[in-house]
Amino acid sequence: MAAAAETTLHRSRRRRRFRDRAFRASTPYALIAPVVAVIGVILAYPLYWLVKLSTEKYGLFELIQHKGVSVGLRNFSSVLHDSVFWRTLLRTVVFTAVNVTLTIVLGMLIALLLARVSTYVRVLLSSGLVLVWSMPVVVAVQVFYWMTNFENGVVNYALTQLHLGDFFHHDWYASTFSQLSLVTVLIVWGALPFVAITLYAGLAQVPRDLVEAAEVDGARPWRVFLDITLPILRPILLILTSLSIIWDFGVFTQPYLLIGQSKITSGNYLMSIYLFEEGYFKSDFGRGAAISILMLLIVAVLSVAYVRKMVRIGEAAL
Amino acid sequence: MKRRSIVALGLVAVLASAITTATPGATKRATANNITVWLQVDAQSSWPDVVAAANQKFQSDHPGTTVNVQYQNWGDHLQKFDAALAGGGGPDVIEMGNSEMTKYMAAGAFSSLDKSSFDNSANWLKGLAGSGAYGGKTYGVPYYAGSRVVTYRKDLFSKAGISKLPATTGEYVADAKRLLAKNSTKGFSPVYIAGTDWYVALGFVFDYGGGIATQVSGKWHGLLSSPKSLAGLAAYKAFFNATSRASKTTDETHPNPYDVYAQGQAASILGPSWFTCCIGAKYKSSTAQFVMPGHVKGQSMPGFAGGSDLAVPITSSTKSLASDWIKDFTSTSSEKALQAKGNIPNATNLLGNSVNERAAARSWFVPTAKHWVDVENGNILRNMLRQILTGKLSIKQAASSASDNIESVLNQ
Repeated sequence: MAAAAETTLHRSRRRRRFRDRAFRASTPYALIAPVVAVIGVILAYPLYWLVKLSTEKYGLFELIQHKGVSVGLRNFSSVLHDSVFWRTLLRTVVFTAVNVTLTIVLGMLIALLLARVSTYVRVLLSSGLVLVWSMPVVVAVQVFYWMTNFENGVVNYALTQLHLGDFFHHDWYASTFSQLSLVTVLIVWGALPFVAITLYAGLAQVPRDLVEAAEVDGARPWRVFLDITLPILRPILLILTSLSIIWDFGVFTQPYLLIGQSKITSGNYLMSIYLFEEGYFKSDFGRGAAISILMLLIVAVLSVAYVRKMVRIGEAAL
Repeated sequence: MKRRSIVALGLVAVLASAITTATPGATKRATANNITVWLQVDAQSSWPDVVAAANQKFQSDHPGTTVNVQYQNWGDHLQKFDAALAGGGGPDVIEMGNSEMTKYMAAGAFSSLDKSSFDNSANWLKGLAGSGAYGGKTYGVPYYAGSRVVTYRKDLFSKAGISKLPATTGEYVADAKRLLAKNSTKGFSPVYIAGTDWYVALGFVFDYGGGIATQVSGKWHGLLSSPKSLAGLAAYKAFFNATSRASKTTDETHPNPYDVYAQGQAASILGPSWFTCCIGAKYKSSTAQFVMPGHVKGQSMPGFAGGSDLAVPITSSTKSLASDWIKDFTSTSSEKALQAKGNIPNATNLLGNSVNERAAARSWFVPTAKHWVDVENGNILRNMLRQILTGKLSIKQAASSASDNIESVLNQ
């Protein structure tokens, strides 16, 4: 009897222990479930439709009928055989590289400046940055457009007054290079506040005593920056660079509005504009979906390569 | 390793959310006694009273019904319309440019209308009525047509000693030189023309007997590189260089020619006759219009036969109300009011003898092809003009490449 009772007790204790373990093991899944559900709704579902759309002939006629015709991978092969796609891709990669580099380098310089100046100047400078950050993109585009206006833009006026040459009726939108350079100025200008303020926050984590010790050992500022500041900022730089690549590779509003629809041709497409023109203007939504999936893959490849490289550098340093 | 792949996976997720394009949202559906009308901003800026009068008439015939007029821009109204078609909402009446109709009629975007129920439908302007008909049915009701005329400063012309209006483009260039001599302001244009204003440029092409594209047994052939078209393009380049100080790369809305004129920076501008709306109070009394002359004496320059149609989208839930509103908005009295604003009314029996109605005598139109709208949106013509005016390519090179481009788009 007693032995039997003991086994029952033992069994029930074991069961409870098992239940506890199961509960403990499932807790993380329960905690992550809402996130998974939200991601499923806002990401996986549209993505599923995007993939489905990319395998269909879906034009204006199909749009009105609300029903596409399956064509397999024909949309993808048509995009990949389009020379405009490859030229646009190259242009966009170069454009992204220039924009991201300028953003990060200038942002870093401003952050270093912020750490050096007096409190008064720092407050002034960071309020300026926040003002830039808070300006809506469309408004910023309009201001840039006015400043570079052909008839009476202030840039032409100022450059002429400074005796840098006759800029009267200088056309800033005459060549693709000039157009995209303006867009770069606009994008970098708009992205600097976020990058500079984030890096400045990161600089606060650099231990003062470490810097002082290096300086006592005779390290020049450049050396201190390379060997102390930069390694500590690496994780932040990694995130900022990845985000910048994503933003700049897919940027649409600034180039589309600043260059203006009437000046957009296949000769100055960026990736997102190519997508917009092919998908929406030509009402070929299936092809548009195929382009956007290709864009997704390209950015993934670009960023993953970058992430792996950064992680490897990190491992090597340790 | 594991952590690395998690980082990569997370990144891909972020990317996906950043790049996935938004699916078009639906606008509010019309209820049984509420119709939504999409008109272009032209109506808002130049004839809001005509719209108000039609609404009033419509509402007195249909008590308790409200009309929600939403003004659209030419640049993006088709994208918005596409989104509305996908979402199943959108307007009950939409204004379409006559060159935009074919693509949508072919796709079945509009519901057919009873032509005989509209005022003056037996006498509708041929070009406009043609743009709204497909497969023997009527989908678009002609709204108004426009022609292109010269709006000019009488005071500046007489100060330059021009007593007689130019009868040929050659005479106009000579007059432009005199105007330039009398107006030394930097940037002053005797004739302001935006460099890539293809409506003006192609007038020269058609004046010299050229064309854009022609259909031979079902296949489109580009005409821009024909000798006659090239002569027209050369004439345009010469005319532009002699008369306009506008940007060679800008279009005719950046800036609006009438704004340049209102600032006193142009002696004349070329464009729709309603340009007089916005030339500023200062020059109102010294402004008049004439028909743009061609290169041969006695012939006017062919102008773009622009115009608008009104259509009822297939997605409308109040089609008969929508059709009734179109009736009121294109009634004889409404068309006469539009005529008074400088437009060409939609029917021949309403035509008068105004300068813009005379200008409409010689006109040209774009190829009526399903994919023509892609040529316009792809800026093939504007790009060609930019290349020609900036000298990036020779006229022949630019025209051949544009012509090939147009051919391939139209034959898709």
